[in-house]
Amino acid sequence: MTNEPQIQILPPKHRSIFFWILVVIFLITLPSLIFYTTGYRLSFENEVTSIVTTGGMYVTTDNLEVDVYLNNEQVERPRLFRSAYYIQNITADQHRIVVQSPGYQTWVKVLPVESRVVTEVSAFNLPEQAQLRPITQYETATGTAVYFSTTIAEKVFAQATSTEPFYHSTTTATTSLRINSEFLFVESLFGTTSTSTQSVFSKLLEEVGKFGFATTTPVIASSSTTTIERTLRGDMELFDDEGELYAKWLGSSAAIPYYLCISSSSVASTSQRYGEHVAEAVEVARQSTSTPLLIDNNRVCRTQVKLDRLRQDVFYYHFFPNSSDLVLMQLQDGIYVTEIDDRAWQNTQLLYPGTDIHTIVENDVIYIKDGEYYFQIVTQIETN
Amino acid sequence: MIEKSHLLPYARRSDFKVARANELTGKDRRFFRFLEIVPGVAAWSTIIGIVLASIYTPFIAAYFIIAFSIYWVLKTIFLSYHVRYNWRRLKHHMELDWGAMIQRFSYDKYYHLVIFPFYKEPIEVLEQTIKGVLDAKYDAQKIIIVFAAEARAGAEAEALARSLEEKHGDSFGHFLVTTHPDSIVGEIAGKGSNVHWALSQVREQVLDAHEIPYKNILTSVFDIDTVIYPDYFNCLIWFFMTVENPYKSCFQPVPLFTNNLWEAGALSRVMAMSSTFWQMIMQERPEKAATFSSHSVSFQALYEIGYGQANVVSEDSRIFWNLMIANDGNFEVVSMSYPIAMDATTASTFWGTIANIYRQHRRWTYGVENWCYIVYHFTKNKSIPLKKRWSVALLQGEGYWSLVTNPIMLFILGWAPIFLGTREFHETVLSYELPIMVRNLLIVAMFGLVVSAVISLSLTPPRPDGHSRFRYIVMMLQWIMVPMTMIVFSAIPGLDAQTRLMFGRYMGFWVTPKSRTK
Repeated sequence: MTNEPQIQILPPKHRSIFFWILVVIFLITLPSLIFYTTGYRLSFENEVTSIVTTGGMYVTTDNLEVDVYLNNEQVERPRLFRSAYYIQNITADQHRIVVQSPGYQTWVKVLPVESRVVTEVSAFNLPEQAQLRPITQYETATGTAVYFSTTIAEKVFAQATSTEPFYHSTTTATTSLRINSEFLFVESLFGTTSTSTQSVFSKLLEEVGKFGFATTTPVIASSSTTTIERTLRGDMELFDDEGELYAKWLGSSAAIPYYLCISSSSVASTSQRYGEHVAEAVEVARQSTSTPLLIDNNRVCRTQVKLDRLRQDVFYYHFFPNSSDLVLMQLQDGIYVTEIDDRAWQNTQLLYPGTDIHTIVENDVIYIKDGEYYFQIVTQIETN
Repeated sequence: MIEKSHLLPYARRSDFKVARANELTGKDRRFFRFLEIVPGVAAWSTIIGIVLASIYTPFIAAYFIIAFSIYWVLKTIFLSYHVRYNWRRLKHHMELDWGAMIQRFSYDKYYHLVIFPFYKEPIEVLEQTIKGVLDAKYDAQKIIIVFAAEARAGAEAEALARSLEEKHGDSFGHFLVTTHPDSIVGEIAGKGSNVHWALSQVREQVLDAHEIPYKNILTSVFDIDTVIYPDYFNCLIWFFMTVENPYKSCFQPVPLFTNNLWEAGALSRVMAMSSTFWQMIMQERPEKAATFSSHSVSFQALYEIGYGQANVVSEDSRIFWNLMIANDGNFEVVSMSYPIAMDATTASTFWGTIANIYRQHRRWTYGVENWCYIVYHFTKNKSIPLKKRWSVALLQGEGYWSLVTNPIMLFILGWAPIFLGTREFHETVLSYELPIMVRNLLIVAMFGLVVSAVISLSLTPPRPDGHSRFRYIVMMLQWIMVPMTMIVFSAIPGLDAQTRLMFGRYMGFWVTPKSRTK
């Protein structure tokens, strides 16, 4: 048996050497990681190692099932239950971002990415086929919607799907059925509110002030020639003027949505990076006293954007449910959703086709009257 | 007139055992009060500073957070290196035959004085403790047992100790039961005052009465839940006989909080093992160490300073600083790397356990009162080398500061620039990369927990009957709670303690409840 323990206390020299090794690692690692996190990367292209600066893109989607492509290359999906993609290591240039999924409409944009800066974008993908929830006058004891005519299947559900089962009654007897209270509510909505049979343009011609079914915070503002109806959500306002539809930011410059702002630090022109229409809009705003530009350090922000109405008349408009960035428009051939973000272009997607329809958004629920039938359009998307 | 001739010169000062600023007058009082304020101000300034920097200079805050995260990874590696090394030493020491190793020494003249201060702990706790001493591989006739009861605990407490004396008194060289009177002026109720009383009583009733030289007494002050390993006294003798200055040394074992580990919940186990690991690190960093909880020292050294302080909360560490300062800096902590077993903090309910762990750690982190004491006396006792004064003050100060601020900075404020930063910052790659980088660095740091999990299993007592093997898996996985426990049971109670001291709301001694499954 030994008379001494074989393991002595950790020698100070060993500790000191280990400590200084860690100090050296710290001194090497710190600048490396700071350079990395600010966007600098080593490039091994062209057989010459060089340092390049990169930017990033941050894509939020309303659907967990979508695939995101950057310049035709699929981006790795984020972790479970996350709908935001942060794409790193993007060179400073124009980049095409595509968000798509089977059964959903495709969202596309081409946007510039700058060094050390992240370009933010929010995509939306509506179902290719509208999803309707029937709202009938009568329902069975178990709550199933009842139709008394089979034409509903040919007329409506040929181009849409029902989210709930419904029942075709072979008789017109209603004794075994019960009245659907929701139907009464929706019917009263369409009954008490003027229906969307006139377009914004035709109303402009008639110089009739009352327009639309805006039920959330409508603000009536008088001008010398027309009365403009305005719809507010947060600090974003929708209004029509002279047949055109506009979104206007009323809040502070600090809280202005990113898509209303463009970088002013890039050498490339605004029209090259964001499109001719944006460059023109910026120039118009620069001259304007009513909708001035908000300019700070390295960006220029417009406060007003004209919405793309696909060269059709607008019969109804409202903010898309639970969103202040998307706008629902009833045009001549159907109901569409468009984004306020007009960088590059505005993605506009068909929500429900039809010509003989009326639309009301009430408490963030979209109700439509197609001919004699009432429905709720189920969007199944949640926007920011 | 109090007899002071036996005291070391510096220990004769009237302010030698100062506990709080209000015990001083004039300039000294103001200076001590200033010192009480410094730790709290430093901690709060750091936390508020990072919040403000995140708002107004988010880029600088982000760079700082990256630097701090790297520092944390490297610190984890550095500390894991110490834990792993001490673990090897500890296992080696547990395998050695210390009884055989001390045969070359003439140690018959030495007595082990073992003091067990207690309050209202049940007889089962006391029984297990005394059984540990009875099982020790050491001549029991050379052991002096003192059960130090509190008068404020009532007659039942003393009766418990008397019953043990009756049962085991003849087994030991001497067996003494003392009862610390309530309400002695200048004391605070707690372990420190009880031990102080017990030491004075044992000197009069045993040492002086039997003419045992103080230099021949090795005093071990053990918490009442301390169960010694069989070779503890042999190991202590070995270190006492081999260190350079045995009368200028404290001897610190490694506390393993394993007595009730199988009965304790995961939270208790993590906190218990974390505390053990910290002490294992300290065993390899003697320049930063102070005594903690159960430890040993010669009676002569204690007598030369008039024993420890009866007016502080963290008396277990304060005794080392008393000794170090009174001896002009010439006093060291000797790491024994030999274990003693103690209780993990528990309660009958989950929330009770959380409350008890919180209170215990607040009491431990109130050890920041020692920093005030150290710095105060470092300005008075110029006999201590200047370099030592500076290094100890800075090391101890950094320890208390980092204890409170580091977990908060790492796990909460690391994300502050992202939420509080300016618009310009939010648009940058740095803003997006920062959380990814911090997260990845923390994951790397978490690999240190794997080391912790493996070592903790090796220190866990054998599985008793009635406990599933599945518990071993839980014991591995429980370490993922560490980021949370660092904040809830280290940083926040530490901040609580420092804030109380900063505002002069001095804490009293809180007795950690002990129990046994009957």
